[in-house]
Amino acid sequence: MNPTDPAQLAPYVAGGAFLLAFLFGAVGNKTNFCTMGAVSDWVNMGDTGRMRMWLLAIAVAVLGSGALQVAGIVDLSKSIYPSANFTWLSYIVGGFLFGVGMTLGSGCGSKTLIRIGGGNLKSLVVYLVLGIAAYMTLRGLLGAFRVGVLERVSLTLPTGQDLPALLSALTGLAKETLSVLLPLLIGGAILAFVYASRQFRSAFDYTLGGVVTGLVVVGGWYVSGVIGYVAEDPATLQEAFVATNSGRMESFSFVAPLAFTLEYLMFWTDKSKIITYGIASAAGVIAGSAAYALATRSFRWEGFRDAEDTANHIVGGLLMGFGGVTALGCTIGQAISGFSTLALGSILTFVAIVAGSALTMKYQYWRLTRSG
Amino acid sequence: MNFDKEIDTRGLNCPLPILRAKKALTDMKAGQVLKIVATDPGSVRDFQAFSRQTGNELLSHGEANKEFTFFLKHR
Repeated sequence: MNPTDPAQLAPYVAGGAFLLAFLFGAVGNKTNFCTMGAVSDWVNMGDTGRMRMWLLAIAVAVLGSGALQVAGIVDLSKSIYPSANFTWLSYIVGGFLFGVGMTLGSGCGSKTLIRIGGGNLKSLVVYLVLGIAAYMTLRGLLGAFRVGVLERVSLTLPTGQDLPALLSALTGLAKETLSVLLPLLIGGAILAFVYASRQFRSAFDYTLGGVVTGLVVVGGWYVSGVIGYVAEDPATLQEAFVATNSGRMESFSFVAPLAFTLEYLMFWTDKSKIITYGIASAAGVIAGSAAYALATRSFRWEGFRDAEDTANHIVGGLLMGFGGVTALGCTIGQAISGFSTLALGSILTFVAIVAGSALTMKYQYWRLTRSG
Repeated sequence: MNFDKEIDTRGLNCPLPILRAKKALTDMKAGQVLKIVATDPGSVRDFQAFSRQTGNELLSHGEANKEFTFFLKHR
């Protein structure tokens, strides 16, 4: 393998993403890892187990990604998350709508893929609608609104929006010092909160789901930032992250990759299209979940209940596609991969997603009580 | 098993089966039994957690013909 030839590296990047996503899909199915379920358990019954599992994934990703950064193995500033352009309105609106959508659509982008692997045909419809809406928001009709309205409301943060850079500018402390301290402090504080619960400690699946998801995101940075890194692409004479749709270093996210998968399938004969990191990761989650479901004989076909159920899932997919692209990510993309870079926008999006989902559940319950 | 009320959540996924059960319980008295029929594989874990958190005892649950049945006793 020639380490400077992007064409030769691409299969290794896609293969690495697929294997990590396969692991995530299998473990996600086994442990019921679900970010919408985490909000539901918390809001509807006061159970924080799955919310702590999600937070554990964030903590592991923060600590692991911080370690890769401090060791000089990857440069997280090469990802899309800690950019200088702080599009706060997009994070809030996109995150909130994504939260609404994932509640109506039986789960976020990653859960949609896990459900497909388990035989849920409703989630297959969500996948298609989400992918089309995401593509429309990337390059189509909704993209004009995103760029022309939402993204115009932004702040430029010259240092970038990651917490080490922001706090360095505010306090005068060296960014290098804060890059070591902040992941330890934030990751450690989240870990302490997560394991303060006896119920959480007593159920191994919570730890399994959280640790594996966090490590998969860390591994994702390694695949894209080390295996897929070319210091000087022979074609452009610039550095490149091979087989990525964004052209930047990527880890896992499950909105835009669903759109790019549809694009790849529709432009199959266009030889300029390749299986990218994101496309491979979406396929990997479905395959991993399906493998687990088949191995444990838990695979089962599921379909729509009625017209209202169908409409809810279609609207859910639309909102997730638009919201996810607008907010630059989802409950995995922004809330774990982005959070691991300590980008302020990722933390804001995480809060907006949870708020959108929680309020939708409150509305759904209010509707039930009104219907008698 | 005898029950006082039944709700059908077949074809629905999280969070709707839990929300419908929660609503049904508000119309019932202490000691009465609610039967829930579901098809979402995640409902088993959901109703176990719901019972643990709310104190409504999960008297039994089972699976037959790709449907899950739960009996919750109102606390």
